[in-house]
Amino acid sequence: MSTARRATFFLALAFGIIWAATARAKSITIDDSGSAAIEPSVLMRWKTAAPTRSAAGKLMVGTTTIRVRINVMPWLKHSGRIYLALPAQQPGPINLSWTTQGRFMAGQLASGNRVLVYAGPITTPFMEDTLTFQFSVDGALMRRAVPVTYHFEMDEE
Amino acid sequence: MRCSLDWVHRASLGAMLAAASGSASAYTATLTPASPKAVYLQVGNGTFAGPINCLGSGSDCYSSGGTPVSNATVNTVSVTLAAATVGNGTAQAMTTNSTAANSYWDGFAFCSVPAQLYIGGFYRTTGAATAAAQVTATVPAALTNGSGGTIKFSQITWTSSGNGDTAGNGFLPEVFPGGTFVNGGTQTVGSMASNTWNESCWNFSYLNTAVPGAGTYTGAVLYTMTSP
Repeated sequence: MSTARRATFFLALAFGIIWAATARAKSITIDDSGSAAIEPSVLMRWKTAAPTRSAAGKLMVGTTTIRVRINVMPWLKHSGRIYLALPAQQPGPINLSWTTQGRFMAGQLASGNRVLVYAGPITTPFMEDTLTFQFSVDGALMRRAVPVTYHFEMDEE
Repeated sequence: MRCSLDWVHRASLGAMLAAASGSASAYTATLTPASPKAVYLQVGNGTFAGPINCLGSGSDCYSSGGTPVSNATVNTVSVTLAAATVGNGTAQAMTTNSTAANSYWDGFAFCSVPAQLYIGGFYRTTGAATAAAQVTATVPAALTNGSGGTIKFSQITWTSSGNGDTAGNGFLPEVFPGGTFVNGGTQTVGSMASNTWNESCWNFSYLNTAVPGAGTYTGAVLYTMTSP
């Protein structure tokens, strides 16, 4: 009986080790309800005033500035990795690039992906920065105004 | 019974925590197309505001950041015939006073002046590809000399080309092909697919099969671009 109980314990431990090795960090969307846009909408304009002869000049770009304020209180006094995620969505492929004031890292990504913007200790309940976003979309997809959603997410370690 | 209530209470608490976690929001930006539709047509000389010296050409163009502005110039295409050649059926090449030799897209030496007249433009619109914008010519019935003499406009034809245009690079056939003027009326002289730059160079010829009286004959053709 004692031997059987011990075997069960080691088996459970072994499973536990395997689980820990294969588990991915859990990603949690961060509350960014404190963020505010300086412009109400992103005006998309042709990247070049005129198209090219080869029809390659159909890109529209638009810029907006967001005062980002994310609530990282649940991870206070822990280390974390924060990503900016742009889900795949309508109207189609979207490219996003951004600059920051330094709290987060600048970067770029295509829809359907995410990019690391912060890695390190969480020392304050809220993290703030001013980000200037530039969206790029094929003009052929831009018949009308379209909402585009992105979010910050935390990988818990 | 008490145990059961306690279980319900804990379940409720769990639901509240889940709701709080679910309040984490995503940010939504609304992408709004601004001034999405634009047309531009240039026959002969044009004017661009902004940086100059496009690709070292000394002129302005879109690729250097130039923006087109209205140009009221009416360029001419003309030919002078010696009396002995009038009506002999040998086509006479016409020349233009237009100085537009370089592409207004990238400054490339595209047309040869004074032999060729530049025509170019674009039709900008958002959304999927639409029907092409049409370019038409409104043509009088005849050239006149002011004293009753006329020459039919159908005596004037043109061919189309452009330096560097080949089937291999996709620039042939020309978007503004060759043709012959109608004797009064409106005719289509080309079309522009949405969101492409279009340009050609025209060589005009006088067919010289008529024998009009001596004089200077003139007529004005109006080119119009119409987008869907």
